[in-house]
Amino acid sequence: MRVLLVEDDAEMAASLKASLSADDHEVEVAGDGELGHSMASGGGYDVIVLDRMLPKKLGVSVVRELRDQGVSTPVLILSALHDEDHRIEGLNAGANDYLGKPFSTRELLARVRALWNGRDREPQTKLAVGDLEMDLLARTVRRGGKKLDLQPREFRLLEYLMRHSGQTVTRKMLLENVWDYHFDPQTNVIDVHISRLRSKIDRDFAQSLLHTVRGSGYRLEA
Amino acid sequence: MRPSLSLLRTTTFRLALAQAGVVLVFVVALLGYVYFATVGQLNADSDLLADQEYAALDRAYGEGGIRRLNQEVVERAARQGPLLYVLAESNGTVITGDFQQLPQMPAGAAERVDFAFERVDDDGNAIRGRARGQVGRLLNGPILLVARDLGDSALISGRITSALWTVALFGVALSIAGGLFGAWLASRRVEALATTAQEVMAGDITSRAPVRGENDEFDTLAIAINAMLDRLQHLMQVSRTAGDAIAHDLRSPLTRFRQKLEAALENPPNVDADREALRVALEEADSVLDTFAAVLKLARVEGNVTWRFERVNATAILRELVDFYEPAAEDVQRSLKGEVEDGLYIYGEPGLFTQAVSNLIENALKYTYENGRVEVRAIRRADGRIEIAVSDDGPGIAPEDRDRVLDRFVRLESARSTPGAGLGLSLVAAVARLHKGGLHLRDGLGGQGERKGLGAVLVLPAMANP
Repeated sequence: MRVLLVEDDAEMAASLKASLSADDHEVEVAGDGELGHSMASGGGYDVIVLDRMLPKKLGVSVVRELRDQGVSTPVLILSALHDEDHRIEGLNAGANDYLGKPFSTRELLARVRALWNGRDREPQTKLAVGDLEMDLLARTVRRGGKKLDLQPREFRLLEYLMRHSGQTVTRKMLLENVWDYHFDPQTNVIDVHISRLRSKIDRDFAQSLLHTVRGSGYRLEA
Repeated sequence: MRPSLSLLRTTTFRLALAQAGVVLVFVVALLGYVYFATVGQLNADSDLLADQEYAALDRAYGEGGIRRLNQEVVERAARQGPLLYVLAESNGTVITGDFQQLPQMPAGAAERVDFAFERVDDDGNAIRGRARGQVGRLLNGPILLVARDLGDSALISGRITSALWTVALFGVALSIAGGLFGAWLASRRVEALATTAQEVMAGDITSRAPVRGENDEFDTLAIAINAMLDRLQHLMQVSRTAGDAIAHDLRSPLTRFRQKLEAALENPPNVDADREALRVALEEADSVLDTFAAVLKLARVEGNVTWRFERVNATAILRELVDFYEPAAEDVQRSLKGEVEDGLYIYGEPGLFTQAVSNLIENALKYTYENGRVEVRAIRRADGRIEIAVSDDGPGIAPEDRDRVLDRFVRLESARSTPGAGLGLSLVAAVARLHKGGLHLRDGLGGQGERKGLGAVLVLPAMANP
């Protein structure tokens, strides 16, 4: 997909561009907020990755102006400070995701893909991955026709994984989107939740659906 | 001592001057009162008497002419009494009376006269005195004077008046002297405080202001200043300790980081070994960055950043946190239980509140032993505040160490081997302060043997239930 990267730190921009290109994206770079804004206004990008502190125009202003102009390209804001108030300010301005520095490259790549997959999606009432089916209205989960008994939290965790099936989902993404937690637990608590969920959806079946992606996170895939 | 501190410019001296002014005003008022009560009254009585006598003689003149008047004056002057008479021709030549000379030539009809006199009495003694009365020209020119000898009473009131003036002068002089003395005493105390401040500025943070034990305002001030210096000294020590600790905490991973990279460069190329070196280096870099992030976060919570406060459903957040950590606790053979009252609300920042409680839970899980217990209890206390206690049955912290672990970067020796920058509890304490609450440590659930466990208690102001 086509990614617009707006970042003023040349070395950072080069390194991010290399990583995104290696992940099969076509990347264009803008070095300041005004240039980034004019390039984004022209459209043609699938995802915009925007630094928060930019010369000439702040990242938050760029997003707000794009949204006012009717440009709905998904935007991910990168920020040196991962703080509640800045995150909320960014999201309120119209950004779709917010990532605090320092972040791992894998985290960024996973989020860029998630943004692309998440856009323009019709509201769904049923999700399916292989023979795993989720009914969002009846709040039921079945695999191979057999009803699975999930706790509410496990249900939300599985829902998120199913909505992002086929993509790598990081622990941080799960923390933020399933629990709305914006800090790093010092324990392996996410892994434990995943292993409990896995024991419910995979244990009695020949084919595993919930995979661990080493060093990154998890992927639900048939 | 500072010579520039002039006594005359001190507050105490100015107060004394003001007091001297008040004394002066009081004495003048007193003088006025005494004057009117003595001299004034005397004068009024004399005037009345002299006026009546003058009028009577004037009538006698009207009835019997100058001869009758002269006769009356001679008779009356001969009587013993306080009244004095003079009858004179229109040119002032005395015809008859108590004096050989008129004290004052009247311009016309009756006018007031007040004069000192000297005369010889019937026994030949010279008498000095003051008299007051009326003098005036009668019809066709003769001059009549009727006056009352004020006698002793004039002397007495005169002495009272001069005594009062003397007292007033002494009063003012004493006020000024007292003011100077008071100012000197006060300035000595102030200079002692100033000396302490200068010593502190010069770098001696251990200098303290002298306390006399007199419980006066200077002692109060000195005690307050000393308490402030104690706090400053403590903070300086803490930040020095923190500086050492952060240097230690950052230097170790940075050294290993550098070591790994150097070794990888020195050794012959080997893809597997190089990748492993890079992986370890990345971990060390992350650990350094985590420490920085924690320091920055703590600085922002402690600093003057304005946080967006809102109504926070503490009950829901606490139950969710227990629910979140429970599987992880079970995974490491600990039990985590929550006992959270319904309807607990606080006014605060939900993200910080969540992180603070999660720090307490993670700490408790980290410092308990296998098969240990951790409990999260949240109640609304009788005083209306919300108490959130995260208690465990681990080794606990000795009471004398409890205050210290809330300082930045302090990790007890026993915890040196476990990961973490020692900022977790500091952050919780800072978040508590930000929410106008507090964090304190107490015994926990009670463990095996001597162990009492640890209870970390977060007390926050409650918000009313909607």
